[in-house]
Amino acid sequence: MLHFNTGACNGCDIEVVALLTPRYDVERFGVLLQPSPRHADVLMVTGPVTKQCAPRLRVIYQQMPSPKFVVAIGACACSGGVFRDCYGVYKRLDEVIPVDVYVPGCPPKPEAILQGVIKLLEKLKA
Amino acid sequence: MAMFEEAVSILKDNLGNDVLECKTPKPRRAYILVKLGCHRDAISLLLKQYEQTGISTITGTDLGSEIELNYHMRCGGAVTIKNRVPKEKPRIKTITDLLPGAAFYEREVFDLLGVMFEGHPNLKRLLLPDNWPKGAYPLRKDWKPQDVKSGVSDSEKNSETNGGELKEATSIVNVVVGPQHPALHEPERFSFKVDGEVVVDVEPRLGYVHRGIEKAAEHLMFFQDVHLVERVCGICNAAHTTCFSQAVEDIGGIDVPPRALYLRTIVHELNRIHSHLLLLGVAGLLLGYEALFQHVWRDREPIMDLIEMITGNRLMTAFNTIGGVRRDLDPNAAGKIKKTLEEVKKRANFYKVVFKEDPTLRLRTEGVGVLSKSDALKLCVAGPVARGSGIDMDVRKDDAYAAYEEIPFNVISYKECDSWARLMVRAEEVLESIDIVIYALEHLPSGRFRVRVPRRQPEGEAVGRVEAPRGELIHYVKSDGTAYPYRVKIRSPTLANIISFPTMIRGGYVADIPAVLGSLDPCFSCTDRMVFLDTQNDRRWYWSLEEIKPKKAK
Repeated sequence: MLHFNTGACNGCDIEVVALLTPRYDVERFGVLLQPSPRHADVLMVTGPVTKQCAPRLRVIYQQMPSPKFVVAIGACACSGGVFRDCYGVYKRLDEVIPVDVYVPGCPPKPEAILQGVIKLLEKLKA
Repeated sequence: MAMFEEAVSILKDNLGNDVLECKTPKPRRAYILVKLGCHRDAISLLLKQYEQTGISTITGTDLGSEIELNYHMRCGGAVTIKNRVPKEKPRIKTITDLLPGAAFYEREVFDLLGVMFEGHPNLKRLLLPDNWPKGAYPLRKDWKPQDVKSGVSDSEKNSETNGGELKEATSIVNVVVGPQHPALHEPERFSFKVDGEVVVDVEPRLGYVHRGIEKAAEHLMFFQDVHLVERVCGICNAAHTTCFSQAVEDIGGIDVPPRALYLRTIVHELNRIHSHLLLLGVAGLLLGYEALFQHVWRDREPIMDLIEMITGNRLMTAFNTIGGVRRDLDPNAAGKIKKTLEEVKKRANFYKVVFKEDPTLRLRTEGVGVLSKSDALKLCVAGPVARGSGIDMDVRKDDAYAAYEEIPFNVISYKECDSWARLMVRAEEVLESIDIVIYALEHLPSGRFRVRVPRRQPEGEAVGRVEAPRGELIHYVKSDGTAYPYRVKIRSPTLANIISFPTMIRGGYVADIPAVLGSLDPCFSCTDRMVFLDTQNDRRWYWSLEEIKPKKAK
């Protein structure tokens, strides 16, 4: 799993980080945060995609080995949120890269993100 | 405050006829319009008189045929020095020679409004992408987002190659960190110039989180904007909403009930506790001390629970509104809050000891990333960064808002000026904040928690100032008498502080980069809401080994 912030307000990001800490401990599901896109299977994206971040996001996505999956975390990544019509951002994450799971919320609670991750795992099994 | 009134009268007496207009609508707020070009005289006067004078930010506002530049000075309060330049050919003299800390603010105004600052050492883009069309200034009123929506797409290409120009390529190597990097939780790019293990210089490139909030705020109504500014930053959201609400309340002359002020204070301080704990944990992680990170974050969770209990959400509190707060405190909650805080206090005391005494932590942070007091004043840094360099500066004390006038607390400052001092300031502030919340709960006034306010606000302008977890936060709001603000300007503390990063890291080791960056507690989502960043001087030098060696703690 790789986390990339494409312009978020930090709200979703700290909830993603909170997932790693003792109360939620996502590692018990076999999910590990990886520092490099080349070692990651799942990309977790938070925030509206800013114009400046978009090319970088595409590069990161291309660097990941296949098969690869994308989780959009938070209202901004899913639909643009409050920044939808701002001049600096794309409307949605799936305009830029394909998305497998959407986790809405502003920000989603860590439990919700966890559920999103588990949904993805179920989707893979099916 | 005496210093503030004195400062205003000094300006009036010395500038004489150059002062075109002077308004002091409330204590510690002054708006002084001076003749074009006289802003430098005014700022020099303040600097000569008061050592601690700094610049908070520069707001540019498009007035139609003119662009108004507001120099927000901090000098016992907020002294706003106004200048108007013709929009046809907006040029004005720089103040970076007087106050190097203004470098980024001038670049921001240049980037977003197209004002030329004559004599600025490095006037280039701060926030917008490098391939943004020339002559398109998003904060001018005649600019429409459609103009560029299709035009700008892949913006990074130029900056990638031009990012670190090397004048003489010898043993100096360019190391680019970010925007995606394991040590950074947010996308920013730093290009470090490295000679062996020694960092020679660094140029940060901001703008990866630039969304365009200030423009968006002009298209929403005042009460809607509260929720927009909340999303400037997910961590210090309560500070942003408090600040914005205060500014609008000043414009509308709205009296907020005392109970609301206390409730605001409580949520604001809980916000600070969680933010400081978050940073202390992340600092542990950056220093290679992961167990500390896990421990601190575990102890941060009860605070998140309290915020959820009081406001209904863990992070985005949506608690403040113009005229008060949106929900009252459950009478049974006070006991639970106090009990939880007592527990957290024990842990916070323990972490204070850890940061104070753990030899590994001290070795990694002591004498690393030094920012001397005089540099800190020149660069106009704010918050824990300033307090770590021995400057007693805290908006809660200097310009008391909400309920801080009535609540006793100490301003923590350290004289060591290094990364360790900046972390210690935060560790101790957690304890202070816990005491503030407990005091506020015990002295919570009864009565209403909100007054209804009209959607339309009268014509006017106001500066809101609060002490956010990362330092002084400023919102400048201008109203033209409708339900929509004419201009909203936000200056977050990280923008004030990041300018000091090159000074701190120059001459340090590559391995110290995370320690120094961590001690700054940068928050780029705040900073980039509009744009920018870069080192202001091209000078390079080496420090001798003696100067780099950690100084022994007293």
